[in-house]
Amino acid sequence: MGVTNRLRWAAVLALSCALPAIAHHSFSAEFDASKTVTLHGTISKVDWVNPHIWVYVDVKDDTGKTTTWALQSLPPLFFRGSGLTKDVLLSSKQEVTVTLNPAKDGADSGFMTKLAYPDGHVFSMSPADADPSLRKTQK
Amino acid sequence: MLSELANHRTLTLAAVVAAFLASPIGTWAQTNYAAEAAKNPGAASRPTPHMADGHPDLNGVWHHFFGIGTIQKVGDSFTVGGAFSPKSASLYAKPLGDPKPEYKPELMAKVNSLNANQVKEDSTLHCIPPGVPRLGPPHQIVQTPKQAIFLYADNTGNQWRVIPLDARPHSTDPETAATYNGDSVGHWEADTLVVDVTRLTDETWLGDNGLFHSRKLHVTERLRRVGDTIQYQVTADDPEILQKPWTLSRTLTLQPDALEEAAPCVDKDAGHYVTLEHHNNTR
Repeated sequence: MGVTNRLRWAAVLALSCALPAIAHHSFSAEFDASKTVTLHGTISKVDWVNPHIWVYVDVKDDTGKTTTWALQSLPPLFFRGSGLTKDVLLSSKQEVTVTLNPAKDGADSGFMTKLAYPDGHVFSMSPADADPSLRKTQK
Repeated sequence: MLSELANHRTLTLAAVVAAFLASPIGTWAQTNYAAEAAKNPGAASRPTPHMADGHPDLNGVWHHFFGIGTIQKVGDSFTVGGAFSPKSASLYAKPLGDPKPEYKPELMAKVNSLNANQVKEDSTLHCIPPGVPRLGPPHQIVQTPKQAIFLYADNTGNQWRVIPLDARPHSTDPETAATYNGDSVGHWEADTLVVDVTRLTDETWLGDNGLFHSRKLHVTERLRRVGDTIQYQVTADDPEILQKPWTLSRTLTLQPDALEEAAPCVDKDAGHYVTLEHHNNTR
């Protein structure tokens, strides 16, 4: 088993035109929009701060070792009215699936573009998901 | 009808895709003035309310900084909307048509250098207040006969300005420090509130892309209420660096929702920049 499998994440290339331009200033200085990583883990901490919220996801490998990923996402204001608050993020102890564009510096970090819960509901922070036909072309 | 819908869809999709493609090279700045106007149709044609002292009533919430995106419920899930929804993207992509400040030719190299290094040099990207005039028009105004309070839920943190309206002169105390929002004094010229701002720190920029200024910066804001809108004009005069004063105009629309306090700003990006890439910001 490779490192990737032990960490239970998989990286796939996405179409590079689906840039998460919603990061307000310097996304491309920090994250690689051409790569997508999927993680399974539990949310252990949330920083509800400007200019972007940060969600920390604990990911266990097969040996039981936990790695905490630090995931930037959209500004707090974007979540207004959606029901996705700090309390909601922290209250679920279920394993979630998060999709992210990884940090360019190789840290366990990235820009979270999707958060999926076991019951099937999804929070998408990707513009490509705002329209179903864009979603198809991305896949 | 179907073809109209299809055309509309094609256009909005094209706008969204174009925006994604354009963003990394810095040609698309998102704004929410047009989207805010759409929330209150016909606002400008309503009667202009006045205070008991006869001056126009500027009280209200007028603008939300960076309210360009939302997470919206779609079925059982949630997806990004607002500026990123095909339904409303065109509102946010409406160009402001701002003129560029005209720097003295010998200073353009400095502007270009700051622009090229913006992710390091632009202090607003690291939670430092943008200062006047980059802070933009007031998000909420609280007006009394003696003073106007401008409130801002900025994403660098909550900001406020207390503006006396008694036509007093600026402070001449040499010990008074230059600040992000400066020393503001206001007076009425007919139905227009005129705010004069000095003592601005040169740590801030006039705007995005390296637009630095000097300690000589003098800002004049003019606010005129027209129905449920405000015509906001701001002029930056800095003879030290600019060839002529630089003026921006905005139309603000009375907003139905309350101003929410900004979440605290914490810079967690600075240590992770690998390149100097950036794109145009909203200001």
